[in-house]
Amino acid sequence: MNRTAPYRLMSREERIDWWAGQWRRTVPGLFTLALVLLMTAPIFAPLPLMPQLGLLGVFVWATFQPALMPPWLAFVIGVASDLLFGLPLGVNATLLPLTAMFVRGFEARFGHHVYRFDWLMLAAVALVFQFLGWQAARFAGNASDFAPLLVQWLTTVAAYPAVVSLCAALQRRFIGQRQ
Amino acid sequence: MLGALASGAVIAVALVLLLLSRANPESGARLRGTAIDLVAPVWSVVRIPFDWIGSGFEFAGDYIGAASRNRDLEKRVVAQASALQVQAATQTENRQLRALLNAVTPAHKVVASARIAGASGGGVVRSAIVSAGSANGIAIGMPVRVAAGLVGRTIDVGNSASRVLLLTDANSRIPVTIVRTGQSALVVGAGAALVEVRERVGVEVPLVAGDRLVTSGDGGVFAPGIPVAVIVDGSHEPALARPAVNAAGLGMVLIESAFMPLPATIPVNADAVAVPREAGGGRAKPSIITATPRAVASALPPPVDPPAPTPGTTRPVAPSLTYHPKAMRLPSVAPVLSATDTPRTTPPEAPPAATPQ
Repeated sequence: MNRTAPYRLMSREERIDWWAGQWRRTVPGLFTLALVLLMTAPIFAPLPLMPQLGLLGVFVWATFQPALMPPWLAFVIGVASDLLFGLPLGVNATLLPLTAMFVRGFEARFGHHVYRFDWLMLAAVALVFQFLGWQAARFAGNASDFAPLLVQWLTTVAAYPAVVSLCAALQRRFIGQRQ
Repeated sequence: MLGALASGAVIAVALVLLLLSRANPESGARLRGTAIDLVAPVWSVVRIPFDWIGSGFEFAGDYIGAASRNRDLEKRVVAQASALQVQAATQTENRQLRALLNAVTPAHKVVASARIAGASGGGVVRSAIVSAGSANGIAIGMPVRVAAGLVGRTIDVGNSASRVLLLTDANSRIPVTIVRTGQSALVVGAGAALVEVRERVGVEVPLVAGDRLVTSGDGGVFAPGIPVAVIVDGSHEPALARPAVNAAGLGMVLIESAFMPLPATIPVNADAVAVPREAGGGRAKPSIITATPRAVASALPPPVDPPAPTPGTTRPVAPSLTYHPKAMRLPSVAPVLSATDTPRTTPPEAPPAATPQ
């Protein structure tokens, strides 16, 4: 996976290894899609307790591996979640790439920081995400109250450490260093 | 630089998608159907062991307090036996009166029974995915219920799975009758556990906790008499009610045909307006028959006078709520006029007397 030499300078074995390792690039996208799929679990609660796992996946991978969570991939994940949740097409499809772009820009501008700060940043991003998602759904004709979305915001913030440790385990196992 | 350009393009495409779905909520309906087709089988399989565990607990729970529950039930059977006899007499009388009035009760039948196989994860939409789709005869706008009451209505249909808008969704509007007072109202979802009772006719009559709400049959989707909710707080407007069915405990649901689907042509007085093509208005062929409406009228059932507004036949007045098109996804079919017909906007001066044939 880690390109140590330019492709032209690789030996045959190195090239085979390099090509065989390419599937690892799909791990962030596939894992985030799996998180989105998990959100359709047939669990009915009076309040929307299911965290925004898609947002968490995009956010965490954009901090861990910005190259493997480009905005276009976040867009694809957003379209999939809109279709799966029965939301107007374009709500998550707009907000997830925006999240990926924001995290990229923020990291490029301010660099790395401690874990707790990431959590704080996620709380802010998720709140804005919920608000904009509420407004976008309202714009497309799905009016609803904002209060239940605040509950979902809380569960999203609470689910962040679990998703981070899952993604970190995947990263250690399959991807290695930042691309 | 190139990356920023690509990102901008992605956002632009997404915003165009959002605009499209505002302009046409039906956009992407087929894709949505395919998406739930992919998800439903997964959860149908995954939920099996959980269902086993749940039914095991239920089976064990049946033995707890069985004796006292049996005593209660026997007492209730004795108390209700006489009420049942009165009810049987009332039903017979009702049937006879209906026969006298030639009242037509549209038949509705169960189209499919399906398992709950998914839910919406977001806070904006309250919906469930069921494992039956167009291959099982399901279409958009069919009522979904269980024996205990109403669950919701289908809004997206895939080949083997459908999405059901639950009645707790903020876009759900269910026309109901309050059993005790006979008032009609709308049950509106609030995105929470309780639903709101809005647009009630005769707000001055207070609702009390325990009042039952059943579907009224208005609108033609839900057959009358399906339990919807029970009032828990009627002290202020809008009154709050608890749905009769909690989606959390659902296993299988029934999907019924729409009670009284909108007709392909709106019933009209053949003399007053242009004749729809389906009713024999001719297919763009300028013929004498279509040119003279009265000649066509002879091929139709005799034109009826504008009916006096009786309680049974009045069309429900549209409530002054703002409807979302998705919430009202009914098979809306505009009457097709033949090309030779000129629709009149003004009523005719005097309807000609029916000439004896």
